[in-house]
Amino acid sequence: MNALLQKEIRLSSSVLTYFFIAAAVMTLFPGYPILCGVFFVTLGIFQSFQNAREANDIVYSALLPVAKTDVVKGKYLFSVMIEMFGFLIMALLTILRMTVLSDAQPYRQNALMNANLFFLGMALVIFGLFNLIFIGGFFKTAYKLSPFINYIIAAFLTIVAAEAVHHIPGLEALNAFGFDCFPLQISMLLGGFAIYILLTGVSYKTACARFEKIDL
Amino acid sequence: MDIVTLKGVCKSYSAFRLNNISFSLESGKITGFIGRNGAGKTTTIKSMLNLIHTDCGEICYFGLPLTGHESEIKQRIGYSTGTVSWYPRKTIRQIMDVTRRFYRNWDENACRRYMELFALDERKKPMELSEGMKVKCNLLFALSHGAEVLILDEPTSGLDPFSRDELLELFKKLKENGVTILFSTHITSDLERCADNIIYISHGAIKADCRKTDFMQNYGKSDETLEEIFLRLEREAIA
Repeated sequence: MNALLQKEIRLSSSVLTYFFIAAAVMTLFPGYPILCGVFFVTLGIFQSFQNAREANDIVYSALLPVAKTDVVKGKYLFSVMIEMFGFLIMALLTILRMTVLSDAQPYRQNALMNANLFFLGMALVIFGLFNLIFIGGFFKTAYKLSPFINYIIAAFLTIVAAEAVHHIPGLEALNAFGFDCFPLQISMLLGGFAIYILLTGVSYKTACARFEKIDL
Repeated sequence: MDIVTLKGVCKSYSAFRLNNISFSLESGKITGFIGRNGAGKTTTIKSMLNLIHTDCGEICYFGLPLTGHESEIKQRIGYSTGTVSWYPRKTIRQIMDVTRRFYRNWDENACRRYMELFALDERKKPMELSEGMKVKCNLLFALSHGAEVLILDEPTSGLDPFSRDELLELFKKLKENGVTILFSTHITSDLERCADNIIYISHGAIKADCRKTDFMQNYGKSDETLEEIFLRLEREAIA
């Protein structure tokens, strides 16, 4: 597993992937749809897939002494690692906004989504969608990058829905500040984690089955 | 002893069919794999590497089926092609540093030896190499993990006559050390110099699989070269 991840990091990844992790800092931007930061992190991962395709990485990997499914595993390990780096930064900044900065005026007057545990839960859902739609779709052919378009549509619909949901009467608590409505917030985060694990797991299984069948 | 066996391997595409491919590779021998473009050589080689999904048949290495023993088998085989370059913007050293982690028997000394023999500079990137040097670079990777079976797809294409000569001598030495080689090529004169056996494939089916001397005797006329025999057989097939 270590060798697979090393290969992803040292040979097939794009430097843009690491650069785009910095988009997680958007969590701090007031008056900005902060879930877009999640999209930019996944856009960075997409650059690595593009890079890998141009470097014949998939065939090279399939020739290494690993099972064909390990080629898929390497890509998922790398993507999950980058997603978790991005998520960690978002989580730290969210905690900052929930504690020290919870009463800061720019955030209090923010009409858009607040950085709270619901936001983190939705970030995980978007990461899960990336894994399901883009990575799962990529392994239908192991060279076509077009599933990214479907992912863009799904990601932005999710961002719009997440931004809009707290404006619906009765759901205002989803935009809670600090530790207000904490049980609801934590359940949203846990729900996000569950969806992320489910979508990534389903995607990985499907991708392995697809990759076994395709011709390189 | 047969170290690689293919039994009834089939693969259908819309315009091409690999039909019931069966052959064996003798241990410590060089087997030339000949056939014109589109005859099925690369499809057969890709099947042997599990890069394509065959419709039927079985491929075994060292008595083990490829299905279910893929990583174990790939530890003991090497593949080189003259046509593809991997990670064109990474240095040879970077690629090697990562690749060696996958092989239990990676031999750094052998790697250095072949690098010197091939006059390869590890600081260079594949995109900076000539076609001939790319072939040598691919061979370097295939040879550095002590492969018992080498599958070579056009390994001498793009090489100058001197480098080709060096490589053919190297293949003969590897053979003496017990390495089994499948050598797919269009340069049949290379096979005349080093092959023990010949497999001839045409229109997705094996037409001949025998010792080179038997192939020359059974299919050749008077003093025809391997290339002349190959050309005549193909022309006869068209007619």
